[in-house]
Amino acid sequence: MDQMKKHTISVLVENHFGVLARVSGLFSARGYNISSLCVGETMDPTISRMTVVIRGDDNILFQMMQQLNKLVDVIEVTDLTASSFIERELVLVKVSVDKALRAEVVEIASIFRANVVDVGPDSLTIEVIGAEGKVGACVDMLRPYGIRELVRTGEIAIERAPKRDCSLPV
Amino acid sequence: MAKADVANHLRAGETMTGAEMAIQILSDEGVDAIFGYSGGAILPTYDAVFRWNEVYPDKEIKLLVPANEQGAAFMAAGYSRATGRVGVALVTSGPGATNTVTPVRDAMADSVPMIVICGQVPRAAVGTDAFQEAPVFNVMCSCAKHVFLVKNPDELEATIRTAFYIARSGRPGPVVIDFPKDVQNWEGEFVGAGMLELKGYQARLDRMEQATLPDKKIATFFDMLKVAKRPLIYAGGGIINSNASEELTAFAKKYQVPVVTTLMGIGAIDTTDPLCLHMLGMHGTAYANYAVDDCDFLIAIGARFDDRVAGKADAFAARAKIAHIDIDAAEIGKVKAADWHHVGDAAVALRTLIDAGSDEVITHQAWLDYVQELKEKHRMAYNLESDIIQPQEVLALINEITKGDAIITTGVGQHQMFAAQYFDFKAPRTLLTSGSMGTMGYGLPAAVGAQVGCPDKLVIDVDGDGSIRMNIGEMETCTNYDLPVKVLLLNNQGDGMVVQWQTLYFGSRFSGTDKTLHQKDFVAAAKADGFKFSERVTDRGDLKKVVEAFIAADGPAFLEVMTDAQAFVYPMVGPGLSYKEMLTGPHINGREADPFAELDAADAF
Repeated sequence: MDQMKKHTISVLVENHFGVLARVSGLFSARGYNISSLCVGETMDPTISRMTVVIRGDDNILFQMMQQLNKLVDVIEVTDLTASSFIERELVLVKVSVDKALRAEVVEIASIFRANVVDVGPDSLTIEVIGAEGKVGACVDMLRPYGIRELVRTGEIAIERAPKRDCSLPV
Repeated sequence: MAKADVANHLRAGETMTGAEMAIQILSDEGVDAIFGYSGGAILPTYDAVFRWNEVYPDKEIKLLVPANEQGAAFMAAGYSRATGRVGVALVTSGPGATNTVTPVRDAMADSVPMIVICGQVPRAAVGTDAFQEAPVFNVMCSCAKHVFLVKNPDELEATIRTAFYIARSGRPGPVVIDFPKDVQNWEGEFVGAGMLELKGYQARLDRMEQATLPDKKIATFFDMLKVAKRPLIYAGGGIINSNASEELTAFAKKYQVPVVTTLMGIGAIDTTDPLCLHMLGMHGTAYANYAVDDCDFLIAIGARFDDRVAGKADAFAARAKIAHIDIDAAEIGKVKAADWHHVGDAAVALRTLIDAGSDEVITHQAWLDYVQELKEKHRMAYNLESDIIQPQEVLALINEITKGDAIITTGVGQHQMFAAQYFDFKAPRTLLTSGSMGTMGYGLPAAVGAQVGCPDKLVIDVDGDGSIRMNIGEMETCTNYDLPVKVLLLNNQGDGMVVQWQTLYFGSRFSGTDKTLHQKDFVAAAKADGFKFSERVTDRGDLKKVVEAFIAADGPAFLEVMTDAQAFVYPMVGPGLSYKEMLTGPHINGREADPFAELDAADAF
């Protein structure tokens, strides 16, 4: 695997039990690790959307997408990577701070338009929302203060208007 | 659930158990035989089969009980392949279900429509490590085309109908229904119609079925065919699944294009037809493989360039433009980029291409003459000097009697390849073999299933001493049901194909493959299983007479022929090698030079 390019794949699926196992099984059967996976209902409660972020060889991922597109429960597969899309991730970071450093950390948060969502005598919890680059930059800035815990939702993504057809050829 | 047309079914409105509904729907779907083994969690459904046959003797569903559930599902697969209908296996939970994993994966890999219904522990007990419980849904998810766990009894009817639909439609495959015992015992009103909604699958299927070949694409195809001096059709199992044999043959004859087939595609065109070059690939005929090397336009239909065909993808048909027709979009460009492709049903696409070229007279006479010459020069051959019986001569002898009309099933290994190479196959669905998965032990249960589906046909299981042991319990199944299956065992006292690889690639260290000290007396075993005809041949002098008696025998018959362990399968294209590196062995003529190496493409025909 030379080209470990990041792909953001959006998969519309039936909102059933077992679908997640099938989709993730297709990646795991090839020994691919999913970087992040978000699942939630769409405006139609019978349909869910999975946003899969995965790194790998373009050709192999293309094949896997075509195989995903064969699963009975899969409705549509789109590799957003090739199109213009908006990606967002929410990260909660618990940072060690004492009184002296609190203002500094709050300032960093505000630069990234991140919110302080909890405060304790020696910690601050910050909620950062953004694309991979921004979230990464914010976390890097907070790292020197000492990150006690970090929780991320994984990426969700949506195509920018006007919608271009990136569905698979049939 | 889709809206049901209640009025249509004669039994609509009746109160039934889930098990009774299941059997009613099986009958509605045309099932006349079930292969399976009973057990605790599937008892209500077995009971329903029994009661069904008492009430509806004219619509009897035969129940065939194997020695092992793996046998049951391979019987269902053999039934499917021989008849084109959907074979059904009915097994219990836990070990019953997990014993079918191998045949389910096998059917997936070879695109065989099949239904496996597994009993499951009651819903409340699922996931508690109950007695005879296995996570069938999870296990089968990775192997089957689709799996249903029936949690909601109201969806039972629709689920079973939908399972058949999924198994048959598009690229066919196995569908597993995990059927909890309390849902089998549940009582409800039978609706008699309705399917589950399949949003994406149905939309893709509709798109595929409506995707006609546009004129422009047809024109491009014919431009390629007209420019081509050496066109070749590479036909796979998709032709057989699509029932497109007639169209393939008509297409090949109309445009005078020779045909090579994959193992799965054997019988797609009559192998005795002058245009047919038989099988290509690792153990394909030398002339088929040379034709692939020499062709300048390869038309792949219902085939997927798998590694036993295109071991070295770049070097495969390296001179050729490639056209690829397949029902599965995921196969286009997977291994080899296509210059022209169409996703759709093979029969429909071929019919379109036959009709579209009505005015064109396309001939490739020089190429056809050349191909005939290849067939002659590099014809199949084997050791005629040895005192020991050669496996190939046994098959050639049987072929003289059956003349391409028998259904041949096989295990996996040398005997499988010899069967593919040395039998004629005049019609599709006459070679049943585990192609992709390569499952030893496939032959015997598949023969049972084929014989149940085609009671009037001659069914011969060509087996090896390694393969037959895998499901040898099914010998008794032949006699239990008096199925006139002919079981031919080519016994070379070892796992011949592995021995061949060990000889070629592992310094003749026969690790785990030598069976010369094995004690089993197969002839006595067959007799013990009730085979009235059970013979062994060691001397060539007896062979013809005994083979004739074997084929002519009434009822199940077993014949063991002791064959030469040194008889290797040739030609052989080693794994990952190109056809140029094909070994033709000591008896088949190979070729040294590349006949087109010096020629400019434009000068070559």
